Amino acid sequence: MDSGRFFERGGPMIRYSDLEYLKLSKGKRFGYKIASFFASIPTALKNGLLAIWRFLGTVFRGIGSEIKDLVNTFKEGDLPTRVSYLVMGFGNLCRGQILRGLLFLLFEAVFILYMVTAGGYWLGMLPSLGLQGPTKELDPILDVFVTTYHDNSFKILLYGVLTIFFIIAFIYTWRLNIRQNKLAMQILKSGKKLKSGKDDLRSLVDDQFHKTLLALPLTGIIIFTVLPIVFMILVAFTNYDGTHDGFNNNLFTWVGWQNFNTMLSWQGSGGQSYAATFGEILSWTLIWAFFATFTNYFLGMMVAMLINKRGIRLKKLWRTILVVTIAIPQFISLLYVSKMFAKNGILNGFLLSMGWIQQALPFWEDPTWARITVIVINIWIGIPYLMLITTGILMNIPADLYESSRIDGANAWQQYTKITLPYMLFVTGPYLLTSFTSNMNNFNVIYLLTGGAPTNPAASSAAGTVGYTDLLITWLFKITMGAESQYYLASVVGILVFIVVAVISLVVYGAMPSIKNEEDFQ
Amino acid sequence: MSESKTAASSLKRHMGIQASRRIGNTAAYIVLVLISVIWLIPFVCILLQSFRVESTWQVGYVIPQQWGLDNYRNLMNTDFPKWYLNTLIMALVTAVLQTIIVLCMSYTLSRFRFKGRKFLMRFMLILGMFPGMLTMIILYRVLKDLGMTQANAVPGLILVYIASSGMGYYVSKGFFDTIPKSLDEAARIDGATRFQILKKIILPLSKPIVIYTVLTAFMGPWGDYVFARYVSFGTSAGMNVAVGMYNWLNKDQISSYYTMFCAGGVLVAIPVTALFLWLQKYYVEGVTGGAVKG
Amino acid sequence: MKKLVSLMLALVMALSMCSFAGASSLEGTYDVTIWVGEKAVDLTLKQVEDFNASNEYGIKINPTVEAVSEADSATQMVTDVEAGADLYCFAQDQFARLVQAGALMQLGAGASEFVKTNNDAGTVAAATSGEAIFAYPLTADNGYFLYYDKSVIPDEDVDSLEKLIADCEAAGKNFSFELNTSAWYLASFFFATGCVSEWQTDDDGKFISVHDTFNSPEGLIAVKGMKKLLDSPIHVSSSAGDDFASGSAAVVTGTWSYDTVSQILGENFGAADLPSFEVDGKEYHLGSYNGCKLMGVKPQTDAVKGAVLNQLAQYLTGEKGQMERFEALGWGPSNLADQASEAVQNNATLAALIAQNAYSIPQGQIHGSWWDLAKVIADDVKAATDDAGLQAALDNYSEKMAALFTMSDAEMNAWTVIGSINGDDWSVDLPMTKGDDGVWKTDEAYAMDAGVEFKVRQGKSWDNNFPADNFVVETAGTYYVTFDEATETVAIVAE
Repeated sequence: MDSGRFFERGGPMIRYSDLEYLKLSKGKRFGYKIASFFASIPTALKNGLLAIWRFLGTVFRGIGSEIKDLVNTFKEGDLPTRVSYLVMGFGNLCRGQILRGLLFLLFEAVFILYMVTAGGYWLGMLPSLGLQGPTKELDPILDVFVTTYHDNSFKILLYGVLTIFFIIAFIYTWRLNIRQNKLAMQILKSGKKLKSGKDDLRSLVDDQFHKTLLALPLTGIIIFTVLPIVFMILVAFTNYDGTHDGFNNNLFTWVGWQNFNTMLSWQGSGGQSYAATFGEILSWTLIWAFFATFTNYFLGMMVAMLINKRGIRLKKLWRTILVVTIAIPQFISLLYVSKMFAKNGILNGFLLSMGWIQQALPFWEDPTWARITVIVINIWIGIPYLMLITTGILMNIPADLYESSRIDGANAWQQYTKITLPYMLFVTGPYLLTSFTSNMNNFNVIYLLTGGAPTNPAASSAAGTVGYTDLLITWLFKITMGAESQYYLASVVGILVFIVVAVISLVVYGAMPSIKNEEDFQ
Repeated sequence: MSESKTAASSLKRHMGIQASRRIGNTAAYIVLVLISVIWLIPFVCILLQSFRVESTWQVGYVIPQQWGLDNYRNLMNTDFPKWYLNTLIMALVTAVLQTIIVLCMSYTLSRFRFKGRKFLMRFMLILGMFPGMLTMIILYRVLKDLGMTQANAVPGLILVYIASSGMGYYVSKGFFDTIPKSLDEAARIDGATRFQILKKIILPLSKPIVIYTVLTAFMGPWGDYVFARYVSFGTSAGMNVAVGMYNWLNKDQISSYYTMFCAGGVLVAIPVTALFLWLQKYYVEGVTGGAVKG
Repeated sequence: MKKLVSLMLALVMALSMCSFAGASSLEGTYDVTIWVGEKAVDLTLKQVEDFNASNEYGIKINPTVEAVSEADSATQMVTDVEAGADLYCFAQDQFARLVQAGALMQLGAGASEFVKTNNDAGTVAAATSGEAIFAYPLTADNGYFLYYDKSVIPDEDVDSLEKLIADCEAAGKNFSFELNTSAWYLASFFFATGCVSEWQTDDDGKFISVHDTFNSPEGLIAVKGMKKLLDSPIHVSSSAGDDFASGSAAVVTGTWSYDTVSQILGENFGAADLPSFEVDGKEYHLGSYNGCKLMGVKPQTDAVKGAVLNQLAQYLTGEKGQMERFEALGWGPSNLADQASEAVQNNATLAALIAQNAYSIPQGQIHGSWWDLAKVIADDVKAATDDAGLQAALDNYSEKMAALFTMSDAEMNAWTVIGSINGDDWSVDLPMTKGDDGVWKTDEAYAMDAGVEFKVRQGKSWDNNFPADNFVVETAGTYYVTFDEATETVAIVAE
C-alpha cells in the first residue's frame, strides 16, 4: 500500500540511514529496496559511461606511452636490439636465447609468407567484398551452360577478418620481441644471467604454467567462437541473404546501418513491422524464461526436499528415476512428448476414453494452451537437474539452524521461509541468473516441442512465420532457414538478443544481494 | 497437574507427532510414486512401441498387439549402425579431449592470479551471451575449407565440440575453488612445480568433477541435431544418430519408420543411461560442488 | 586443352550432323553424387547401372546416391551449392528459390526441347522461369485428394464437406485436413470459388509480379466454407496417412500415403476426389494444387561434365526411367507417353488424383514467402467471430502480400532515367546515384544518337517526372544524365 508511493511521487527519492531503514515495516522496506534499485539506475548508467570514457583514455594513453617506449628503446638500444625491429628474434639469437629467437623468427617468416600468398588478397578485397560474381555462358558445341565462378564474398569476409586477427597477433608479438630486447639489455647491464631455453621450458610447467594450460583452449575459443561472432556482427552490415550468397548467385556487399533501420523502424509498410514482431517475441521470451526458471527452481527444490524428508526410504531409487530422464537425448524424448500432447495423441485419447473431457484439448493449437504446455513440459525436463543441484545444497544447511528454530516453535513453513529459502537464494543467486539467460536461448525445447506453433498471423511476415511459442532464438533460426534465408536480418536479431541478455545480466548482477566475492570461498 | 498426566500428555504428543509424520510420509510416497510415473511414462511408451511389430506407423494405443524384435532387426539393415558408431566415436573422443580442455581452463582460472584473468573471465561471459545459432553457418564453412565436412564430418564435429568447450569452465572452476589453497601452498614450499601440484594433489581430489565433465561431454554428441546436420550435409556416412533418425520423421517416411525410430531411440538411450546410472554419485557431487558457485 | 577438344568437336559436327554433337567427347568415368528420396535409392542405383550399360557415348557413371528427401534437398542446396549433389530431386515449390540461389543449371536448347516435348504442360511450366527451363520433370503426382474410412463414411457422403463433417462428428472420429500449417492445402478452398494466386518470374528466378484474388467476394465465400471445418471439434490440421490409426476417419493427403492408409484401413479403404462445400445455397467443389517433383543439375564449371549430367538426367527422367519409377514406387509419371500407357491409366492409386485433376490447377512458380504468408489465414479465420472478422483475415493477408512487393524507402526516393537510350523502348530504368553536391547522375555514360528522348522519374513511377516534355538529345555523343533535385533541371554531360 504505502510501498507504492516511491513510484507515484516524482522528485528525488527519500534516503534512509541504516537505523531508519531497520525501523521500517516490511512492505516499506521492500518498496524502499525497489525504489533504490530504480533510483540507482541513472547513477549506474553514468558510472558505466564514465568507465568507458576512462577506459578509452587509458587505451589512448597506453598507445602513446607504447610508441614513446618503442622510440626510446630504439634510441638507447644496441645493434641486435635495433635489428630486431626488422628481424624479429635477432636480439634473442645474438644473446644466446636460441629457442626464443627461433620462435620469433619463425613467426615472422610465417606471417610474411601468409601475407604475400593469401592475406594480402583477402585484406585488399575486404572493403568491396569481391568485384565479380559468377558468369554463365553457353558452350555452343555441347549445348550446355557453363558457369565460371569468380570472387567469393563469404570467404573474403571470413579470411579478411582472420587476416586482421593475424595482423593483431603479429603486432603484439613484434612488440613483445622489442620489449624482450629492452629487458635483456637491462638484465645484462645489472650483471645477471639471461634465461636459457631450458629455463623457459621449465617455467612453462611452473610459474608460467597458466600459459601452457590456457594456450590450447584459448586458441580454440578465438578461432571457433570469437571469429564467428565477429563475422556474425559484420554480416549485419551486409546484404548477405539467399539471393546474395556471395558466390553462387550474387556477391554481397556492405550496406551500412540499413538493416538496423529496417529492423527498428516502426513504420512498417503494410503488415507488422519487424520491430513490433521483435517486441512481441521478446516479451514472450522473457515470460518464458521467467517461468521456465522459477517453476523449475521451486518445484525442483520441493522434490529434493521431499526425497530428503526424514523417514522416506529408497531415496536413491527416486533420484535415479528422475535422473534417467537427463540421460535420454532430448530429440527422442521431446519429440515423443510433443506427439503425446497432439490433438489426436495418446493423452487426449486417454482423457476422451475416460470420459473426462468431451472434446480434445488444444494443447498445441491454442496460443495460451500451447504456451502453458511448453512451460509444463519444461518442468518435466528441468526438475531432475534442479533436484540434483538443490539436494547437495540442502544437505549443506547446518542442521542446528533447524534444531534451534524448532525449539523456538517454528513450524515447517516458517522454517522453509526463514531458513531454507534465504539460504538457497543466497547460494544459488548466480545460478538462477545464468539459468534465466540460458532459458532465453533455449532452442531445443521449443524447436522440438512446437517448432514455434501455433502461428501468430499478425507477426508473421515475408521473413518467415512466427508462432506464439517462438523464442527469439527459434525466430532467428527460422529467418535463416526461411524462403529468403535473410542472414543479415538474423544477424541484427542476434545482436539485439545479445544486447537484451547483456542488459538483463548487468542489471540483475548489480541488484543481487550476494555479489559474491570469489576469494571468500577459498 | 500430576506427573502421570504430564507423561501421558507427552506420550500423546509423541504419538501425535508420529502419526502426523506417518501421514506425511504416506502423502510423500504417493507424490513420489506419481512423479515417478509421470517421469517414466514417455520412456516406457517409447520402449513398448519399439517392440510393436503389427504396424510401423503411429497408433492410438500403447501396448503392442504383437511383440517382436523386427524393428531392431530392420534397424541393422539401414545406415543406423554407421550413425551409431559415428556418434559413439564422437562421444568418446569428445569426452576425453573436452575434459582435458575444461579442466585446464577451470584449474587455471581457479588457481592462478595473473594479469588479464578477470578480463578473460568477463570476456568469456560476454561471448556466451551471443546466440550461437548464427555462428553455425560460419563454422560449417571453416570446417569445409579444412575438408572436415560430409563424409569427414566426425573429426570436424569433434573439433568444434572441443574447440569452444573452454567456455564451459564455470562448474568445474566452482569445484576447484572449494579445494583449499593451503594445500597448494604447502606443496609449493616443498618445491613442487605447478604441474606436479595439479597431477599429484588436485586431480586425485577432483574425481567427482572429472567424472561430471566426462559425462556431460559424452552426452553432447548424442543429441546434437542442428549443427551436425550442417556438417554432415546430406552425406549418410557422416551423420550422427540424431540427424540420421530425424530424417525418418519426414512426412513421406514417418509411417514406415516410426517404430524403428523408437527402437533407435532405445538403443541410443542405453549407453548414456547405463553410464549415468553407474556414475550418478559423482555426477551429483560434481554438480552440487561446482554449479552453485559458478 | 578444352579449346582443342571444342575445335575437334566442331569439326566432327561439321562432318556428321549426328543427333548429339558432343557425342564422342563424353567418353570417360565420372563421379556423380545424386540425392533422391529414401525410397528411390535402390531404384536409382539400378537405373544408373542400366545407363552405364546402355548409353551410346561410353559414359561410365560412378554414382554416390544419398537419401535426401525432396522436401529437404533445396534447403541443403541453398545452404551450400558447392557441396551439394550433382543431380538432385526436389519438390516444385522450391524451384524459384533454387534458381535464385544459382543451384540449378539452365538447360541448353536440346535439353529444353527434350523437356517440352516429353512432359505434360503443367510440369514443363513448373520447370520454367521466364523463358528458360532449369530442371527435368520427374513425377506429376504431387497433388492431394480424400482418403476415407468406409466403415464411418458411406460412399454417397464423400461429395459433401458438410456430410463428411457430420458423419465424423456422429462417429466421434477426426477429419484431418492440414489447413492451419500448410498453404498448399489451404488454397484448396480458394480455388473452389475461382480465386487465383499466380506469379511471374524472370530468367533469374526472381519474382516480378503477382496476380492474387484471395481478398475478394469469392475469397470471402471460400473462408466461410473453410470455417465450417475449422470450427468443428473433429478437425485436425494434419496430412499424415497414419492419422487413421489414431482416430481420423477422413484424411486429405496425397499418393505417398497410399501404402499406410491401405494397410490401416484394409477393406474399409476409400479414396475419392475432394468434396464440395455449400455457401448460400451454392455448391463449390474443392480445388487443389497439381504439383510435380523435378530433377535438377547443379551448375558445372566443366562443360563436358555438364553434358554428361544432362545425359544422365534425361535417362532418369525419360520415358523408361519414369515408367520404372511408376512400377517400383507407384509415382505418377509426368512423361506424356507414360501417362497414356494402360498401366498408368488403370492404376487405382492414381484414380482419385485423376478425378481431382478436373478441379486442380498447375502449381507454377510461387514466391517462397507466400507459403508462410498464406497459411496464417486459417488461424485468423478460426479466430473470427463474424463476417467482418473473416474479411479482416483476408485484409491481413493482402496487406502482407502488398508488403512483400513494396520497395524500400531508398528505392522509392531514387531517381532513374527512362527513354530510348540504348535502344530501350522506354522499358528500362537506368540507375542514378546522388552525388555529394546533391545532384543525381547516371552510374555510367551512355552512347546517344541525336533524337534520343528520355525522362527522369522517381521510384520507377510516373508520379514525379522531369522535364515536363521529353528531353531530346541534339548532338550524338556519349553522355551522363544529371538531375538537380533542387532546381528540377535535367541535363546531359559529355563523358
